[in-house]
Amino acid sequence: MKKLLYILLVIAASTASAQEFDKNLTTARSSYGSGDLENARFAMEQMLRDLDMAIGKEILKLLPTQIGSLKTDEKKDNLTGGSGYGGGLYVQRHYGVDPKSGQIEIINNSPLINSIQAILTTPILGGMMRDENQKQVKIQGYKSLLTKTVNSETAKTNYELQIPMNNTLVTVRMEDSNEAEIVAAANGIQLAKIVAIAQ
Amino acid sequence: MKAKLILVAAATILLSYTGHAQVGNRLKNKVAGKGEQKAGEAIDNLFSGKKKNQNSGTNGTNGGNANGQSNTGSSSGSNGSNNNPSNNSGGGLISTPPDVKQNLVDAETAYKKSSYGEARYAVQQAMLGVELEIGNNILKSLPESLGGLKKQVDADQVTSTGYGWAGLTIHREYNDTKDKEIRVTIANNSAWMAGVNAYLTNGGYAQQTNGQQNWKQTKVKGNRAIIEYDESSGYKLSVPLGQSSLIVYEGVNIASEGDMIKAAEGLDIDGIKKQLGEQ
Repeated sequence: MKKLLYILLVIAASTASAQEFDKNLTTARSSYGSGDLENARFAMEQMLRDLDMAIGKEILKLLPTQIGSLKTDEKKDNLTGGSGYGGGLYVQRHYGVDPKSGQIEIINNSPLINSIQAILTTPILGGMMRDENQKQVKIQGYKSLLTKTVNSETAKTNYELQIPMNNTLVTVRMEDSNEAEIVAAANGIQLAKIVAIAQ
Repeated sequence: MKAKLILVAAATILLSYTGHAQVGNRLKNKVAGKGEQKAGEAIDNLFSGKKKNQNSGTNGTNGGNANGQSNTGSSSGSNGSNNNPSNNSGGGLISTPPDVKQNLVDAETAYKKSSYGEARYAVQQAMLGVELEIGNNILKSLPESLGGLKKQVDADQVTSTGYGWAGLTIHREYNDTKDKEIRVTIANNSAWMAGVNAYLTNGGYAQQTNGQQNWKQTKVKGNRAIIEYDESSGYKLSVPLGQSSLIVYEGVNIASEGDMIKAAEGLDIDGIKKQLGEQ
């Protein structure tokens, strides 16, 4: 029964989203046709947001419902589309509960991605920024940046793994974890499919 | 005694051989150098149809490099280290604004197929086309002269990414072809806005009452603005328009603050606001 309700909600949400897109498309066309360029642009910005949301929903469907022993609570999923003003698409899913928790975060079309790409693709820059708590690893063939931090109060180890792929950045965070666990979690993400959708 | 004689003879032979070898090497290098020079000339003749201008004389290899103009068509050096020809022809890229209507059709088709990435790309292209049109319309509406300075057509520029980070910027320059210049940049949806609005809304940026006054708040045609002065770069006047637009005037060798503001008032600020959809 719950599943059926969830499916109905998803269908209703996507129908509403399609209606918004169509409405904004009609406004963009008519405004452009009448020479109201500013209004046409505004409608297009809304269309970009609608599309970001649609892409974000597709990405959420691809994310695992569990990483390691940590289960997700889909109600906490976070999705923001902000193409018009440079924020890009932001998707976040939480796993587990504190103090043993994790997160997968996806940023798409954001300038944040460039700085990490630079570290990973420029050996001299990577060398200058040598940090004993940071190293490069490969996840499903993608060069990635793994960062370890130790919580000074609890002495527990937290990990962050950043995987930049073209215009998309996937970040996996795990509290009270270890390298093997976070790498395994990252390998469970359908990275190639996410890139294809967000491209 | 015999042994000593043999030793001296052997040393003499060795020295003489070394000497011969050195002379031989020098000769060999000379011949090789001549050969390379000849080969270089032959290549030059082949590419440019005329003999290379060997005006340096001393090394004979980089003579053409001193004269950039004469070297454009025959940049191959005779030492073989600079054999790649420079590009001195070609039409460049044609600036073609995206077709807005076609991109909206593409976006709709892609959306119906659930190819959201493709649909987003098409909308971005359509938006780019619209922004370039807005920018060009604003450029056309700008005056031919500002503060007695004439517009420089070559410097006119409209820049847009179609989606966000840099926003839309429109740039025009006015000068007297000597040392006076006013540069006007109109930015919309730009990250610049945050900085200027911080100036205007944050009490932390208090105005100085003593010492060198480098910036202050002012008004241009009723719009709040900030005017700054820097000895090396001159005046800078920033006028935020509505929620997301900004005009920045940069004046070089403008006599006074009053002249700068008077020149800035030469722009139809209300018209620009209207075209950018600002209230």
